[in-house]
Amino acid sequence: MKVRLLAATFVFGLIFSLAPGKSAKADSLQPSVQLDVSSMGPREIEDLTEKKIARDYAAAWKTLIAAMDQNRIGLLNDYFTGFAKTEFIGAIKDQAVTGVHRRFEDRGHKLQGIFYAQDGGVMQLRDTAQYDVQVFDGDRLLYTQPTTATYVVLMTPAADRWMVRLLQQEPPQ
Amino acid sequence: MRKPLSLVCLLGISLFAAAQGLQAPAKSPAGELVTATTSGSGEGTFYVVGPGHVSKTKIQLGSEVQVKGSELRSAGDYILLACSTSSCSEARVFVEPAQPEKISFLLHPSRVPISQPNAINGVSVVMDPYRNLVTAPSTVTFQVSTKDGPGASAPLKTHNGIAWTRLSSGPKEGPIEIQATIGEAKETRVVQQVASDPCNLHASVQTADGRLILQTDPVRDCKGNSLPDGTIVTFTKVDKGGRSMVDAPIKKSIARAEMPYQGAATISVASGVTLGNEIRVGGGR
Repeated sequence: MKVRLLAATFVFGLIFSLAPGKSAKADSLQPSVQLDVSSMGPREIEDLTEKKIARDYAAAWKTLIAAMDQNRIGLLNDYFTGFAKTEFIGAIKDQAVTGVHRRFEDRGHKLQGIFYAQDGGVMQLRDTAQYDVQVFDGDRLLYTQPTTATYVVLMTPAADRWMVRLLQQEPPQ
Repeated sequence: MRKPLSLVCLLGISLFAAAQGLQAPAKSPAGELVTATTSGSGEGTFYVVGPGHVSKTKIQLGSEVQVKGSELRSAGDYILLACSTSSCSEARVFVEPAQPEKISFLLHPSRVPISQPNAINGVSVVMDPYRNLVTAPSTVTFQVSTKDGPGASAPLKTHNGIAWTRLSSGPKEGPIEIQATIGEAKETRVVQQVASDPCNLHASVQTADGRLILQTDPVRDCKGNSLPDGTIVTFTKVDKGGRSMVDAPIKKSIARAEMPYQGAATISVASGVTLGNEIRVGGGR
């Protein structure tokens, strides 16, 4: 048991020593997003909108990752609205109360367009996301797991960007 | 940099798994209680880490822990952790959306000219009681009603939680109600059908006290519907002083405006893409 404890302590220490560098990387770099709109309809997507969707979705994940790590609700304001924002605010408030935080190392998103409303008012996409997730209570690492997850996403246009209105994980296949 | 971290992560996981056991169902509908069974003994801490909720409670290891339905409302992957002071055991529960019970209905535009094919776009998003998107196929019915009573209805299957439709506007101005229904849940939106472009736009002019008093006949579209109040009519005057214009909103089907009278002039009237008649003043009509 003592050996296990020592090993666990060593592993945790190693992770902590790596973590700040990873966090700094997450702060400075936009997650990679590959967008495929070949099967999206009924409205055809304009080139500029396609670029904006990829850019804004990446920015949304970047802010979500920072918000979950630092327990800062305000970071969600820029790219989240509606159900998604309400949900993540709830999670971050709970995290702050319990002392828990989550750290994601984003390894990229394959985003596929599903539906783009004829009036351009809503877009639905499916994201296959790869990331490592770590759960901490204070400084103590409780859980770590490399994850591939699919999300169904609803995005709606705001004045100068597309906002994530729903980001819901789908059951594993 | 990435590979060493992954190796460390895997090593960490194997250590956690060896430490204790935690058993919970792999999946559960949203809002339903889940029972997890912990192993070990002594005091521990139980964590629920989900997409919209996080909790932390003291437990006795080796006992059952109940996670309330209110903690499991958001669909997605939940990490359950039972931790002693030295190690944690884990279980993952995937919370699936419950049955459809709510509907979000987006309808665009709110005002539409009459007799326009596929001018109205309706998108309905099917949700469960906890606002999770229900991606399993379900049927949404779109019902159109006018002041004369219910009209056509169309049941449509959802794809990935969304059903959408396009409707043509009717031949008469006035409101139409469009309702999207799933089970007991209904959402109604109203679209105001307004007259189309003006037809046979005609104005007349009178002179009084050095002013030109300009007034249209009642402005209607080609089907006889009055154009809505606020629609802009533009009067243009060309005289020796050059060209001047004045915009006037329609009020009760008629647009009125005044312009200074400075001798012989030609006055024209227009609204949107429609040009009306031309009037000459001061040189005979």
